[in-house]
Amino acid sequence: MAPAIEGMVPAIESSEGNNKMNKGYQYPSWKKKLRGLVVDNEELCRIVEKGIMGLCGVETQAVETGEAAMELIASGATFDIIVIDRFLPSMTGPETARKMREMGVESKIIGLFALYFEGDEEEFVAAGVDDFKEKPLSPNWLVPILRELDN
Amino acid sequence: MERNQMHRQVSVMRQSLFDQGYLDEQFIQLEELQDDANPNFVEEVVTLYYRDSSRLILSIDQALERNPLDFNKLDTYMHQFKGSSTSIGAKKVKAECTQFREYCKVGNGEGCMRTFQQAKKEYTILKRKLEAYFQARQSGPSETACRPRN
Repeated sequence: MAPAIEGMVPAIESSEGNNKMNKGYQYPSWKKKLRGLVVDNEELCRIVEKGIMGLCGVETQAVETGEAAMELIASGATFDIIVIDRFLPSMTGPETARKMREMGVESKIIGLFALYFEGDEEEFVAAGVDDFKEKPLSPNWLVPILRELDN
Repeated sequence: MERNQMHRQVSVMRQSLFDQGYLDEQFIQLEELQDDANPNFVEEVVTLYYRDSSRLILSIDQALERNPLDFNKLDTYMHQFKGSSTSIGAKKVKAECTQFREYCKVGNGEGCMRTFQQAKKEYTILKRKLEAYFQARQSGPSETACRPRN
């Protein structure tokens, strides 16, 4: 079994096969092909979140704005999991989530925030997200959710 | 310097960044994203952080000079700054951002300014330490880019 990484606990004992062979941490692979979307205005956040989703076995796209996300969805793209940052430049995070639900998107939608503001969680939840999480997006948190989606 | 010694030195530098609270587990996540296809991923991401944050810091500095302060704007900037700092595991910078939010919430401009000075200090200290770390890492014998094994 892989050595433990300081500060990180392997999320699962995986019998599902390995993703990323060279890593000390065993990332899962899934029965289904899981697809993800990151909606974040910060390039750095997009890169890191996309990377982490990828490590967890999710084929992920990243866009800068709510509008871009809606365009993707309108063009027929489907996702199993969508993470949306609280602050987007024009269409806000909650607005984006709401529009997605209105369009019939049934994916797991997670609202992400870096700083907590009162009312944010309520707004996101009212818009139809499944969860509201403080950054960073971590495999320990993500993997159980993905396992559910995979079943 | 002998190969093992260099290795050890890099390892010690890295460990002290965690032990002294400059970095948190998120940095380890970044290291996990590094592989043969992206051997310098961590350094690239950190470079991006310092590039983008410098503009943000300028904006916050300017916003803190306004009178009266626009706390909503400050909050938005700080959300971005905290988001980026979180993404690279900049633990002390993150803590200052959280503190800043507390002052913003109650409209305490003085507190915001003081905290932001501290945030910039931590930001700069981390930058120096990371630069030294990456330099030591690069100047060692060419290795695969996986994080040093302890």
